[in-house]
Formats: sequence, structure tokens, C-alpha cells
Amino acid sequence: MALNTALIGKTYGEIDYVVDRDAVNRFVDAIGEQDPIYRDPEAAKAAGYAEQVAPPTFITVIQIQTSGQVVLDQELGLDYSRVVHGEQAYHYERPLVVGDHLRATPRLADIVAKKSNEFLTITSEVHDAATGELLLTTRSTLISRGTGGA
Amino acid sequence: MAAKVSFDDVKIGDEIPVMSKLVKREEVKAYADASGDQNPIHQDENFAKMVGLPGIIAHGMFTMAHLTSTLTSWLGDPAALKGVDVQFRAVVEMDETIEAGGTVAELDPDARTAKLDVWVRLERGGVTQYPIKNSTAEVQLG
Repeated sequence: MALNTALIGKTYGEIDYVVDRDAVNRFVDAIGEQDPIYRDPEAAKAAGYAEQVAPPTFITVIQIQTSGQVVLDQELGLDYSRVVHGEQAYHYERPLVVGDHLRATPRLADIVAKKSNEFLTITSEVHDAATGELLLTTRSTLISRGTGGA
Repeated sequence: MAAKVSFDDVKIGDEIPVMSKLVKREEVKAYADASGDQNPIHQDENFAKMVGLPGIIAHGMFTMAHLTSTLTSWLGDPAALKGVDVQFRAVVEMDETIEAGGTVAELDPDARTAKLDVWVRLERGGVTQYPIKNSTAEVQLG
């Protein structure tokens, strides 16, 4: 069944997230990153950062909550077992560090049918909750297999 | 906080050092826990096969993390990575070795930035597969 394209442009609930040291440590261990700036606050400070640095793809931990809201939207009609991750883009203003308080608002930017699949694009701007400063933007494209109708 | 790579030392066509990684099931499980993405296709062999996959596959974002590690390792500072835009084009199975790399495609002398074509590849049954291809990164050089 085709997805509900009337939802294109819909914004979802704002996510509030504080970059947590334990979460960064677990993420860094899982990806096998060896650079000490991601593991040791002192090494990060020596490199000019305010705190232990989160790796560039760490922001994926909040995408479960941002994209998750879109995926679970009953009005969208998405079957998650048909979904594969097609594309991912990040544009950074600066690296995230432990203690950063983030605020992000996900938006269903587009739904496009190509052959038998549909491509959902979800974007979000991630801001510093205290200053309002833009920290990064994210764009995810999920592929809903076999719902495009063609 | 600046790239250790100088713009003046880079030219179009240069390749960055390739980094390889053996993908282990324990790491993919650890990634599921760390990222919160508990989709069973990344943990459950039977489930993965039931939905038409060859077996457990790594998260696309796990593979992308290896690519960004490769880029920041070359740059010497994550602040120099301004953007990355990837397409996931093939699966990564357990105990496969992925290699990440990139080639300098465009240079902007005024901004001292570069655009790279980036990829992740692996060999499977004598055929090169590209889990990440048609992908780019923007970097700020020193």
C-alpha cells in the first residue's frame, strides 16, 4: 500500500537530548574508534575541545527518536519490516562534545515513488538548546520496499 | 582544532589512506546497543534469512562510522569534516572485511576546502561490492 503523501512537510515532536559520556563511550567502543579525543576528556581539551568529543556519526543515537516518530506515525502507513536505509547525509557546524544539550525537530521532507519502492526523506536541524546555535543538519532517506505500486 | 592536512599539499585525484576493518558479530551487537537500533536483521540469523537477506548484516550506520573514522583519521581533527553524504548500496555480512577510502574530486582554493568521492568496499566471492558508493565528503583543510 502506498504511503500517505499528504504528510509531506509535516514536522514532528521536538527531541531534547544531552550528549552523555557513557553513551559516547559505548558508541566509541562499538565502532572501534581509537582517537583519544573520543575517549579521554583531557586529550580532547589538549586538542582544543571543551570536553570529550562525540564521533561524527554519534548523532544517529537521537535519530532513533527523530526518524522513529515518522516511522511509527500511524497515518503514514509504513511497514518497518520493508524498510532499508538508503542514504544518509550530515552537515556539521562543529563536532558535538559531552554535555552538549541538543534540540532537534524532525520533518518528513519528501516521499517519492521510484519503480516499486518509495523513498522517504527525513530531515532535522540540530541546535544547541541553550544558545539556539545550529550544530548540524541531518538528512536520512529510508526505502519502503514494494509499496510504490509500479 | 584544524586539519593536519594542508590544502597546499592536496591535489585532485589524490587518494586518502585506506582503512580496513573486520566486521565481527559482537561489534554489531555492541553497535545495536550503543545506537539503539535493535532491528533483528542485525542480530538474528533466522529472522534475517526470513526477510530475504543472506544472514545477519551490519547496520548501514556502522559501515558509515568506519568511513567517517577513516576521513577524520586522515584529517587529524573531526572539526575538519564539514559534511558527508552517502548512499548504502550493498550489505555487509559478518566476518567480512570492509575497506574505506576516498579520492579528492574538487578543490576550492578560496575556502581551502575539498570535496572527496568516498566509498566502502569489500570482496565477496571474487567480486568487489560497494556497501557505500556514489558518496561524497566535504572537508576543510589547513
